Amino acid sequence: MAKVSIERLKKQFGGSVAVSDFSLDIADGELVAFLGPSGCGKTTTLRMIAGFIEPTAGTIRIGDVDVTPLPVHKRNTGMVFQRYALFPHMTVAENVSFGLEMHKVPAAERDARIRTVLDMVRMTQLRDRYPRQLSGGQQQRVAIARALAIQPKVFLLDEPLSNLDAKLRVEVREEIRALQQRLGLTTIFVTHDQEEALAIADRMAIMHDGKVQQVGAPQTLYEQPANLFVADFLGKMNFFRGAPDGAAFVTERGTRIAAQSGAGGARHLGVRPERVRLAAQPGDGNALPGTVESAVYLGSLLEVRVQLDSGETVSSQVANGAPRGQAPIGTGSRVYACFEPADCVLFAE
Amino acid sequence: MTGAAMTAVPTSAGRVPRMLGPSMAFPASLVVLLIIMVPILMLFRYSFNHFDTVEMMQEAFTFENYVRFFADPYYRDVFITTVWVAALCTVLALVLGFPVAYFLAKTQSRYKSLFIILLVFPLMVGNVVRAAGWMVILGNAGALNTVLVGLGLAAEPVQFMYTPTAVVIGTTAVVMPYLILTLQSVLEGIDFSVEEAAQNLGAGFLTTFRRVLLPIAAPGVAAGTMLVFILCMNAYATPVLLGGTGLTMMAPALYDQITRASNWPFGATLALVLVCGTLLLALLSNWLIHRRYVRTMAS
Repeated sequence: MAKVSIERLKKQFGGSVAVSDFSLDIADGELVAFLGPSGCGKTTTLRMIAGFIEPTAGTIRIGDVDVTPLPVHKRNTGMVFQRYALFPHMTVAENVSFGLEMHKVPAAERDARIRTVLDMVRMTQLRDRYPRQLSGGQQQRVAIARALAIQPKVFLLDEPLSNLDAKLRVEVREEIRALQQRLGLTTIFVTHDQEEALAIADRMAIMHDGKVQQVGAPQTLYEQPANLFVADFLGKMNFFRGAPDGAAFVTERGTRIAAQSGAGGARHLGVRPERVRLAAQPGDGNALPGTVESAVYLGSLLEVRVQLDSGETVSSQVANGAPRGQAPIGTGSRVYACFEPADCVLFAE
Repeated sequence: MTGAAMTAVPTSAGRVPRMLGPSMAFPASLVVLLIIMVPILMLFRYSFNHFDTVEMMQEAFTFENYVRFFADPYYRDVFITTVWVAALCTVLALVLGFPVAYFLAKTQSRYKSLFIILLVFPLMVGNVVRAAGWMVILGNAGALNTVLVGLGLAAEPVQFMYTPTAVVIGTTAVVMPYLILTLQSVLEGIDFSVEEAAQNLGAGFLTTFRRVLLPIAAPGVAAGTMLVFILCMNAYATPVLLGGTGLTMMAPALYDQITRASNWPFGATLALVLVCGTLLLALLSNWLIHRRYVRTMAS
């Protein structure tokens, strides 16, 4: 395995810029998730690292080697494709063997390595099956084994779980994470599913419109989003437009909210719904009076929308842990939406 | 949606009548039977009749026509020539057509439909007209010779017309669009990420083609190749116009027997030998390709 450094990478298709000024250093053995809505340039970036797309500008280093001018087959990256891309005319073992043959691994050693990787993904029993005889999850595991068999310098995954059903997705992603940590694989994982990224990434790079918005540990990105896009994209957030006034923030509708840091040019204030408590009486911190507009039952959570007296609305997520028999929060009830100044995040634009 | 579909099944209104399939296939089957099978069966019967130069065809049951075909080196050679020309044209069309089909299947160009129309265009012109075009190009005073002599590459006009070369060029040009269109539709069905996967695993362009693309495309390639081989074996206008007396193929030969010599029994024999020979060779090559590539692909 090796570290990867990407420097000022840029890709332009005709007049439209798909990726611009992308710089990122990925440590040896680190799992970085590229996260963003479709069309944000995350897959383009991954494909530039694999060599399928030639960058307009910038360099990609794998280990100490500048791979930017190298063709795909000389880069030694192991890629798992969204639709698996198994060779339909080869058995599971033959699929895995293909890369080893290309890397001129002698036949004797080849067999041992096929066995090792198939054991790793628990597919040894099915080594003589053809891809069409396998389920989606099994095909995905073969694709992973095939990519890892060549002992790549970087492990690249392009939306590897998007074709699996919800339950399997969680299972396979945990397997990928376990494997990645056990083997110390430098891994880039492209996804549009934030839960997936939050769950397995060491660091995440959130992309939008071809630009990296913020890079950091999942917790940092969620708790301290650098800008409005990151805050809005990752999880849910209540936003207020307005301007700072001393230590507080005054919204356009005149609501005064106490915030911890009175950043100078702040134009927006955000607070996560799970940080908003609903109470009958105002307590410490911010307490905004309002009326419950709707309460949506989400199983483990109750999502309550409160229409504030100022006319703004605030969402609150309440854990569904209330004692049985207690009356649920009904629409129309009067409540205070309470949250701590420390839970408020300010954004310039 | 699933619920609605499930409740809809048992009601008789939504069910497909059992006889719908056969009854829909019936008219076409009848046409095939009447206009294809009946004439072939009649020819089959004629091929056992006796030919008399005065009486023409006489009812009989004799193998003399088949004996004549296999004993006469002239007709044996005509058959062998036909197979060679057809095989050569098929291989040429495949080698020249595959890259075009590959390009068409992969291109994102907005001119793609224009390319396909251009490809289909020659099919709208009859074979005779196209052969006439080749005569203009390949003739002794034709375009090609004018260029060759003009550039000093040849001292005097090269004889292209009425040679096997002319027939092969003409026939290949006739069949190529069919092959390209078949291959293109086959290649378009392939998920090209398998090519990327192969490259990612360390395979260069040629290895990817040989070990991944070709085996996956093999069933379609086999189908297209067979179609083109059959077309070549039965070519009539192109060999007659471009080959003249320099090269005789089966279709012109049997036409001569029936129209010029009025020898229906022998003409019928040639026709049956051509049909059966083509069928056998096509099935054989198909079997070979399947054994080589497709064995593992059957689903």
